[in-house]
Amino acid sequence: MATTTTKTETFVGKRIRRREDPRLITGTATYVEDIQMPGMHYAVILRSPHAAARIRSIDTKKAVSAPGVVCVFTGKDTKGVGAVPCGVAMPDLRVPQHTILATERVYFVGHPVAVVVARDRYLARDAADLIEVDYEVLPAVADPEKALAKGAPAVHPQWPDNVAFTYHQDGGNIDKAFAEADVVVKQRIVSQRLVPMAMETRGVVAEWRGADRQLNLYTSTQIPHLVRTIVAAMLGLEENRMRVIAPEVGGGFGSKLNVYAEEALMGYVSMKIQKPVKWIESRRENFTCTIHGRGHVDYYEVAAKRDGTILGIKLKLIQDVGAYHQLLTPLIPQLSVLMMPGLYNTQNIRGDIIGVFTNCVPTDAYRGAGRPEATHGIERMVDILAAELKMDPAEIRLKNFVTKDKFPYPTATGLMYDSGDYATPLKKALDLVGYVKLRQEQADLRKQGKYMGIGISTYGEICAIGPSPATPAGGWESATVKIEPSGKVTILTGACPHGQGEETTFAQIAADELGVGLDDILVIRGDTAVVQYGIGTFGSRATAVGGTALYYALQDLKAKIKKFGEMLLESDDVSLMIGQVIDNKSGKAKTFQEIAGAAYRALKLPPNTEPGLLATRFWEPPNFTFPFGAHIVVTDIDDETGQIKIRRYVAVDDCGNILNPLIVDGQVHGGVAQGLGQALWEQAVYDDNGQLVTGELTDYAVPRAQMMPWIESHHTCTPSPINPLGVKGVGEAGTIGCSPAVVNSVVDALSPLGVRHLDMPLTPEKIWKVVAKKN
Amino acid sequence: MKISGSYNLPVAPERAYQILQDPAILAQAMPGCESLEQIGPDEYRMKMKVLLAALSGQFEGKVRIADQAPPTSFRLIVEGSGRIGFLKGDGLLKLSPPDAGAAGLTVVSYEGDAQVGGTMAAVGQRLIDGTAKMMIRKFFDKLASLAG
Repeated sequence: MATTTTKTETFVGKRIRRREDPRLITGTATYVEDIQMPGMHYAVILRSPHAAARIRSIDTKKAVSAPGVVCVFTGKDTKGVGAVPCGVAMPDLRVPQHTILATERVYFVGHPVAVVVARDRYLARDAADLIEVDYEVLPAVADPEKALAKGAPAVHPQWPDNVAFTYHQDGGNIDKAFAEADVVVKQRIVSQRLVPMAMETRGVVAEWRGADRQLNLYTSTQIPHLVRTIVAAMLGLEENRMRVIAPEVGGGFGSKLNVYAEEALMGYVSMKIQKPVKWIESRRENFTCTIHGRGHVDYYEVAAKRDGTILGIKLKLIQDVGAYHQLLTPLIPQLSVLMMPGLYNTQNIRGDIIGVFTNCVPTDAYRGAGRPEATHGIERMVDILAAELKMDPAEIRLKNFVTKDKFPYPTATGLMYDSGDYATPLKKALDLVGYVKLRQEQADLRKQGKYMGIGISTYGEICAIGPSPATPAGGWESATVKIEPSGKVTILTGACPHGQGEETTFAQIAADELGVGLDDILVIRGDTAVVQYGIGTFGSRATAVGGTALYYALQDLKAKIKKFGEMLLESDDVSLMIGQVIDNKSGKAKTFQEIAGAAYRALKLPPNTEPGLLATRFWEPPNFTFPFGAHIVVTDIDDETGQIKIRRYVAVDDCGNILNPLIVDGQVHGGVAQGLGQALWEQAVYDDNGQLVTGELTDYAVPRAQMMPWIESHHTCTPSPINPLGVKGVGEAGTIGCSPAVVNSVVDALSPLGVRHLDMPLTPEKIWKVVAKKN
Repeated sequence: MKISGSYNLPVAPERAYQILQDPAILAQAMPGCESLEQIGPDEYRMKMKVLLAALSGQFEGKVRIADQAPPTSFRLIVEGSGRIGFLKGDGLLKLSPPDAGAAGLTVVSYEGDAQVGGTMAAVGQRLIDGTAKMMIRKFFDKLASLAG
């Protein structure tokens, strides 16, 4: 018989190995692709090879009669399906009608044009080649600045200026700040388009059960409940007739924080053919039709006093939107503007965003979503200002930090930084790296003509997203905790993970609160038929918001357990500890099993108490959390090859209380890997005709394990007052802190050559050209 | 992508001009050409197989000849598409006797623009330049061998 173990040991704060890893590393986990069903059909999507074209005609006859093919659908067939929605409301937002299949025109390479359904996926693939589409090719524009120029081709003919939206934010008195400045530094900074590159591509299995009037949709997503609400509406299906299941999700990084045409399309197909249908995105499709990240051209101006005091910051931000708005596209650059001041005490800002349509796949959230771009901008600008004033980059930062006595600190952009101590991680990182000695070594190396750089980035970020008024679909999170009749504990969380390790961290929280073992706890997520409504996992929110909902549900449940304990022990003074309720007077105890048994058997109930042991909480955070930290990168540059070698990577991150240092390390390492990817190697390149020329892993340089430096990961701890766990979030910190530290380091190394700024990625070719030209 | 170069054909300009517009000869000379049929004055329908590194696929397209000035120049307009993408090209071919004036020899110089799209562009971008050059050289080599 199953028993609940009682433990005196606690789990929060310990390096507990991830409970989800055995199935992941032995290849036994179930992803969408692993789902098989009787009568399964397979879909292949024909996509536009053109960035802009009018569709004159589509001839599907040959494809329909090809072996194994059941049917072919085009945009004419799917006209009744609702548009792919943009979840952001803004006063002057231009939202093009985003149908699930192209109708009259195609707007980017990869635009879905038709879907072939066959009994075999290879037959479907072959048949897709038999569809004849007569395109009238139109001029395209792929560069956002070119798209804004007069006479540029209009991406959407109804908006010839290609402006998708504008946004303006002023804080303080920016004109006065610039008028009073001793020095103003300006720089154009590009944050290039990136491909999020989840290891598991997207995929959908749709299963329409006509007799039950029920659509089951398996999809690789970060937001199963939102997918259910939105896709059900697109299909005209009652929401409670649809069940969305996100099985194992092999990475998302924001790319699966979305609702895609293919999710509704597969639902449509399954309802039409009355059979289950599977679509798995190929890697090449993933490059062209899953959202990209970043895509900024930023024009910065910083005003300062001669002593280095920052007076004000101006930013003109050009956001490459792509051809459509996906779920959160227009919101992402707004996060950049909110994060503009970084960790610095300036009350004067001006941010202007122009969102620009291009004939490219849409941009949307990618690890950090707006904050890496903003941090890269301000951290580059602070270094540029330091160079202008001949100040040390560490000194200028320490001079401008919001000091720790100022929290909660209202920013010029309208945020309220919850807690912080910005100097401590920087000082710790400087000590760890041996800053003073390194500067001496650098001076010696320079005499020998060698290029060594030290780059600092002190980042802040907006996490635990977020209070509902600031998020398009609600910013709360939910949790249910049940103690089953046998005493086992089941947690249902709305924060559906895609690699964050909540099966471990949430079990740690519950184990400590209830005093049971980790093995007594099951964490269930990602099934809308099982889990109460939830928002999902993004914006470093799962632990800070979802974990807090769990914490409060546990408090409710503990209160109920106590009531049953009081009844069974006939005492009014009991404590709950190590999986039992103890009578403080007599020392007698009842185990969870006994209490659960009594609660479900319900022969006798405490006053005003219902049977069963279950509690649900929806927790609304009163604010974001604001983690911070300092990353220092030491680089050596080979002037003959342009190769950058990272000698040291020191990260001191403050994410508040740490529930599991092993998982936090993993998040920092993964985040840094993606930050390094942007800083050094990755770039999604469209040519002038809107062809994506980096369409495969041979051309798109995502970092490999052997390209990673050793990361010295350290922490300071400033708990958040926003939630009872004191946690802030760490999912994006590594990425946000990384890229400016790397670029600052390389620019520092090359500064004797007069280099003031370099745009990412810092490929050997780019560095070699700089060095060769100056020599 | 810009394409330019020149090739010496071992025939006189008049003959060179003639074979460069002879569907039967062109079909044999073009690498991967599976058929070339005339569908109108100076317009042909073409089927060809293209190999680009790991990619291969059949292309169907049209070839059009314009601005004819025999025996010195003509313009070639090519458009094709297939499972691995599409290509469009527009080029001017100039035929002239060599500077030294050797009889029975023609210098064919060509200059044009080519554009590729779809999977070919996404996957094979780095190889397109080299592949195009190789295909052009193969074409002229074969043409030279057929010209005599």
